[in-house]
Amino acid sequence: MIRFGLRLAVAGGREALTRLIIIATSVAVGAGLLLVTLAGLNAVNGQLTRYASLYPSPSAEGIGDPLWWSTREDYFRGEQIVRVDVAASGPGSPTPVGVPTTPGPGEYYVSPALTELLEATPAAELADRYPGRSLGTIGDAALPSPDALVVIVGHTVDDAAALPNVRQLTSVGADTPALPETVVDLIVGVIAGGLLFPVLIFIGTATRLSAARREHRFAAMRLVGATPRQISIIAATEAAVAAVAGTALGFALFYAFRGQLAAIPFTGMRFFPGDMFLRPLDVLVVALGVPTGAALAAWVSLRRVRISPLGVTRRVTPRPPRAYRLIPLVLGVAELAYFIGRRPVTSDGQTAAFLPGLLLIMAGLVLAGPWLTMVGARVLANRARRPAALIAARRLADNPKAGFRAISGIMLALFVTSVSIGVITTIVANRGPAQVGSTDAATLSTGLSDDELSVPDSLLVELRSIPGVRSATAVHRNPDRMADPGVLACTDIPAAYGRCADGATVAAVAHNFIPFRESASATRVWPAAPVPLDDVQRLPVASIVVGTDGSAASLERSRTVLSRAYPDFWSAPSVPGEFESSFADQLRGWQQLANVIIVASLGLAGCSLAVSVVGGLSERRRPFSLLRLSGAPVRVLRRVVALESTVPMLAVAVVAIGMGFVAAQLFLKAQMDYMLTAPGPEFYAIVIVGLAACLGIIASTLPVLERITGPETARSE
Amino acid sequence: MTIAIEARNVVFSFGQTPALRGASIAVDSGEIVAIMGASGSGKSTLLHCLAGILVPDSGEVLFDGARVDSMTEARRSSLRRDRFGFVFQFGQLVPELTTAENVALPLLLNGTRRAEALRKAHGWFERLGLEGLEHRRSGELSGGQAQRVALARGLVTGPEVLFADEPTGALDSLTGEQVMDLLVTAARAQGTTVILVTHEPRVAAYADREVIVRDGRVNAPDRIAS
Repeated sequence: MIRFGLRLAVAGGREALTRLIIIATSVAVGAGLLLVTLAGLNAVNGQLTRYASLYPSPSAEGIGDPLWWSTREDYFRGEQIVRVDVAASGPGSPTPVGVPTTPGPGEYYVSPALTELLEATPAAELADRYPGRSLGTIGDAALPSPDALVVIVGHTVDDAAALPNVRQLTSVGADTPALPETVVDLIVGVIAGGLLFPVLIFIGTATRLSAARREHRFAAMRLVGATPRQISIIAATEAAVAAVAGTALGFALFYAFRGQLAAIPFTGMRFFPGDMFLRPLDVLVVALGVPTGAALAAWVSLRRVRISPLGVTRRVTPRPPRAYRLIPLVLGVAELAYFIGRRPVTSDGQTAAFLPGLLLIMAGLVLAGPWLTMVGARVLANRARRPAALIAARRLADNPKAGFRAISGIMLALFVTSVSIGVITTIVANRGPAQVGSTDAATLSTGLSDDELSVPDSLLVELRSIPGVRSATAVHRNPDRMADPGVLACTDIPAAYGRCADGATVAAVAHNFIPFRESASATRVWPAAPVPLDDVQRLPVASIVVGTDGSAASLERSRTVLSRAYPDFWSAPSVPGEFESSFADQLRGWQQLANVIIVASLGLAGCSLAVSVVGGLSERRRPFSLLRLSGAPVRVLRRVVALESTVPMLAVAVVAIGMGFVAAQLFLKAQMDYMLTAPGPEFYAIVIVGLAACLGIIASTLPVLERITGPETARSE
Repeated sequence: MTIAIEARNVVFSFGQTPALRGASIAVDSGEIVAIMGASGSGKSTLLHCLAGILVPDSGEVLFDGARVDSMTEARRSSLRRDRFGFVFQFGQLVPELTTAENVALPLLLNGTRRAEALRKAHGWFERLGLEGLEHRRSGELSGGQAQRVALARGLVTGPEVLFADEPTGALDSLTGEQVMDLLVTAARAQGTTVILVTHEPRVAAYADREVIVRDGRVNAPDRIAS
């Protein structure tokens, strides 16, 4: 029977062959995207792991010759540079990954992207931060991305031991990533949930293509004595043949475009071509899973209809979905709302609190989708004045599960991405970089360690001599720990940052003249500090603040001067928000990934809907043809098709995005006490682009409508 | 009597296969004509040419003094929608709509308000003995009931010509006769011209006149307009 099924699939005439090609092509697209998703997960995982390996965990001390290692962040024009300082303590010290030897004092290795930057930038702005000589470039194995700016600087052990955040390593490259595995799993899970589900829905839908025509053929076979089991085997074989061919084509497409895909900065940083790889398990899952899944889908779809020798017993109106489907959705929202003001202290506790709520909402959306579709369609049907709207609404109300199936993927994808983008936008808004052109953005400061008793005048003179620098001020440590952290003689406060209170000689000031969560202001009045004027100069120096004209050159030259003067900085000289903005940049990378998921999932939904449209047209070929012959304009039928697919899609998009923002708001309020910041227009633009792509794909099926409703259908079949 | 619709020397081929080889027929207003013939004789093709569904390769089709064969597709569609009615052998009801909505569909397509369209549709349920079936779906009707709904749909706009292509072809003889009784009664009451394609003499007997199509020609046309 399998052999007979194979023969029917590949030698069953032109129609069978066309069907085979269409299904195989659809499966190829689905399988290709599935492979891209799996390879993308591996690539993201690899990128995260390599990034995390720049922050290794310390080994047990006192064993062998450890490698001394300190990782700090530096900045250049808003970009983060990862600076790794190392020192080999003996011949047995491990060599850092990606370089042939551990650099000695006065030697360093730089990443290819940083090499390019160093060559293109005046030395006073960047290269002077790394005195000595370059030994070469860092290999890919140590870099999160080809775009990563990384420098590995060599030191003596004594120098390295004095650096902040230093650790001793007896081995490198085998560290557990500093990022908790659950975080990586969560991120990967978000990608998987957002993209895998639509891909699987699409593959499932594609294999049901032309089901109606196929079922009539099976009825004819039943008439000549085929048993239901034999029919099931033939159907499964046919579906599997198309799926095997499609899967093979999907693999070919994946390997053909793998290099180009790696060059797309899905996470804000490009991948290395080798990052987009497939594990044997991935290959096995796709190579076996897709054809098996296709065969199962065909078998399941046949179980929904009873094929008797006298024909296909059409489905009667299925039982409508009930309102209880809303319960998980409501529970999920309630669960998230419960934790407002009750945030667990530990990160594990927070994961345990928020994850179930989000998962409940995701499950709730999928479960409630058909009920919502039915309610919406019934309302539309009762209010429809035009025949197209009436037919479309009745069809959706009649079988909302079928109507929702093709778009359930985008519901999840849009929910997941809306939550992510809502959270990311809010965090970025609260922690983003200073506004361009503001005094904040023109202020560079560096904190000094407690034992820094004074600042050489030559340093301040050098800073003030840099073109564009307007002030260079050493702020002293305030002995009053409850007040602002700095003290300064009133005469030393640069005019751009305010003045003293009337009558005061010494003021308590912020370490960079910018109070927490506020902006610099020339009208700010700093309170008087109870420190005698003569004692100020004897207090340790807390920070050096450089006021500039905001030009990149003046800021970077100042930063370079300060970096050289204080090479053991804990955190690099920075402009307000720069430290936070590197985190925000990382989040923006994820935002970009979320955008990719939106467009891809909507495109996939478009493909699923297109297949559903073609299937729906095949089922209603005769009544539609006869309607058209009776004078119904084709545009009415086109409108039916368009409404049937676009109305639920748009409704689902609105519900999913709305629920995503609700979930994001609940999470942000509970976890960070932030109010949701509405995403910028680019989010909506991305959604609109995705929806337009989806509609374009649906529109591509419309010519089928005209072709299959021609006059020949009027003749009795 | 005035001629409602007429075909003159209509020739039509499906690719290389000729279906009509110069068929001519004229049907008076209010007349019920049965077109008979063996399978493949060209009777359905003739009906489709008369209704403006197919455009003849040569020859003329006239309705109300206008050349149907030279009209644009849009005008022919409008003609079919506004002035003709159709009943086919089977499968003409939109499965998702209720029977009442199916009957109201041509009115909705004409721009009639929904409430008005449904009110007119309900009037036909009583006339055709379909009371109580207004909210059923096509899948929940017997063959005879579905054809009566289709008949109501074909007549609801008050068409000048009703084209019926094997309207009882999928029904048993008793049910077929009931449908034909209703069709003829309703058409006569409205003064609708009926062109009926059938191969069953018992169905053709309901007509005022029978014409035979053989090898793509109408035998013994009893009247051709001069």
